[in-house]
Amino acid sequence: MIKIENLSTSYKTIHGDVRVCNNISFDIYENEIFGIAGESGCGKTTLLKALYDLIDPPLQIDEGRVVLNGEKNGEPYSFASGNIKNAWWNNISYVPQAAQSVLNPITRLKSHFLDSIPKERRKMESKRETLDRVQKYLEELNLPPDILEAYPFQLSGGMRQRAIIALATYMSPDVILADEPTTALDVVVQRGILMLLMRLQKQLKNTLVVVSHDMGVHYQITDRIGIMYSGSFAEMGRTDDVFRNPVHPYTQMLVAALPKVGDKSAKVGIPGRPPPLTDPPQGCRFAPRCPLAKDICHADVPAFKEVYRDRYAACHFIGENISEVSLV
Amino acid sequence: MKASRYILIRIVMWVLTIWMGVTLIFIIPRLMPADPIQNMIAMMEHQAGPMPAAEREAMVAQMQRQFGLDESLWNQYTSFLLNGVLRFDFGPSLMNFPTPARDIIFRNLPYTFGLMIVSLIVSWTIGNIIGLLAGFRKDKLSSKIMESIAIFIYPIPIFIIALVFQIVLGFVLGWLPISAVIFGEVWSAQWISTLIRSAALPMLTLVVLGLGWWIISMKALSMSTAQEDFVMFARYRGLSEGEIGRKYVLRNTVLPQVTMLGLSMGGVFGGSVIVENVFNFPGVGRLMLIAVGASDFNMIMGGVTITIIAVTTATLIVDLLIPFIDPRVRRS
Repeated sequence: MIKIENLSTSYKTIHGDVRVCNNISFDIYENEIFGIAGESGCGKTTLLKALYDLIDPPLQIDEGRVVLNGEKNGEPYSFASGNIKNAWWNNISYVPQAAQSVLNPITRLKSHFLDSIPKERRKMESKRETLDRVQKYLEELNLPPDILEAYPFQLSGGMRQRAIIALATYMSPDVILADEPTTALDVVVQRGILMLLMRLQKQLKNTLVVVSHDMGVHYQITDRIGIMYSGSFAEMGRTDDVFRNPVHPYTQMLVAALPKVGDKSAKVGIPGRPPPLTDPPQGCRFAPRCPLAKDICHADVPAFKEVYRDRYAACHFIGENISEVSLV
Repeated sequence: MKASRYILIRIVMWVLTIWMGVTLIFIIPRLMPADPIQNMIAMMEHQAGPMPAAEREAMVAQMQRQFGLDESLWNQYTSFLLNGVLRFDFGPSLMNFPTPARDIIFRNLPYTFGLMIVSLIVSWTIGNIIGLLAGFRKDKLSSKIMESIAIFIYPIPIFIIALVFQIVLGFVLGWLPISAVIFGEVWSAQWISTLIRSAALPMLTLVVLGLGWWIISMKALSMSTAQEDFVMFARYRGLSEGEIGRKYVLRNTVLPQVTMLGLSMGGVFGGSVIVENVFNFPGVGRLMLIAVGASDFNMIMGGVTITIIAVTTATLIVDLLIPFIDPRVRRS
């Protein structure tokens, strides 16, 4: 599982620090699909980069760390920020965003699989053995095994994304991070990709972290979801629970804006726009857009606290009595 | 597009390019106001004194017949295509009468080609390796120094480079001959050693001339390729920088560079004409300049025609290599 301990990251730019993740602490469990939702620029991808330890300038970790631990082939392991790189592909893998251009256009698919085998594993099996194993694996995923001989430009978008998912999972890692895995695909193909990811997770019983701005994707596949707003989590909990009973005003307005079958009422968006991360407001970052904001909201940052079991939110007006917060 | 179609198109283009080149070469001298036969007779008169008008008329008619200039333009053109372009028969050289111009050109051609090909391969290889390193590891100090040197040498005209080498390596240090001196039986040890010594400076000049361009273009290419998603994703998969450089950046950048190699052939020939003349190297470029000075029209026509065919053929060969290294051309 992954423990995120008090994580703060920022981008060092000439216009000053852009603080993207602020004091984030939470756990992602084994055998679950965890969704990270939020609008563009809220820090979803940055958080994912921190989870995968892709900390390159200008991004840096100011405080806290990410700890990845688990057990593979009967051997326990533990990696923390700074050396998660050593766990890449064996224990943790990454399905990238913009998947249409992430494969080398002039080499066959099979060389991508061979390239990605972690160094220490290369001595343990020959190229032939690896390819046989990959071939069997592709068959298990209902993918034609002859795509190994194909070049990326010969595959359709959907097939390419499936191949990339196979590429990210054939070493059966314990954690798979998927960054917008269905962007740029039509809904039919999207569904196929989501089903594939879900099936894989059930089969491997591992952790799948899905980042998406598409609430429909989260509703369909995730077990738990975290809603990010302006660099930190507004709310987190079991997905169905969050959708049915949102406790944070932002989530409430977000869920109210989602179209539902049979509902003919006009939907309104959340007025205003997220604050700039270079110059965030004091206090709660949602306060300028929140219909319930009081003086305290503009002064103090609300703590991200447990509302009830497995349910967290960051709002001053969530106390013992949840019904205090309601939409006008 | 199928590979066979690609090859067919290249070959058709090759034929068309040659045709256009030789046609131009046929037309241009005939547009000039000077009449070569009047020139020749004027030269003879200058040496042997004036001749009577009737004798002069007869001489003009006889020479026109001899050079085929009395025929219609169309007949001249077809016989030029048939004899000149297809059989390389351009008639006798006027300055080395009666040796056929073809023989002299073919004697000089290997020198020019050797010079061009060796210097192209050397500067292309070294330039691309330096460019790749400079673009892929652009934050290293060595990369920045290399690029600065490339930017510095790139705009220097070739004859300046040639003169600097001539003065520094030939005159001041005295390591290499300033002017080419090649002697001895062909393929004898003496011939080979004098050839190498004589070719060293022209070759070095051509290598330096090409180097700047190859470094700058490869650096730009590999820098943008290094930012492609597929390079990022290779890094995310834990590949070493060396592997990424070789399998991902180099393999993708070498393709446009091979195309550029084909396109640069003509330019390198132009460079070698200048270099041959500066260093007195016995290639076609040197021969052409002498032929122009001596108004040896057959030699000029022959030299230019053979050069056009040679350069376009070299370009064709490079073009035909592309399907073998780029699966997108081969497969799509």
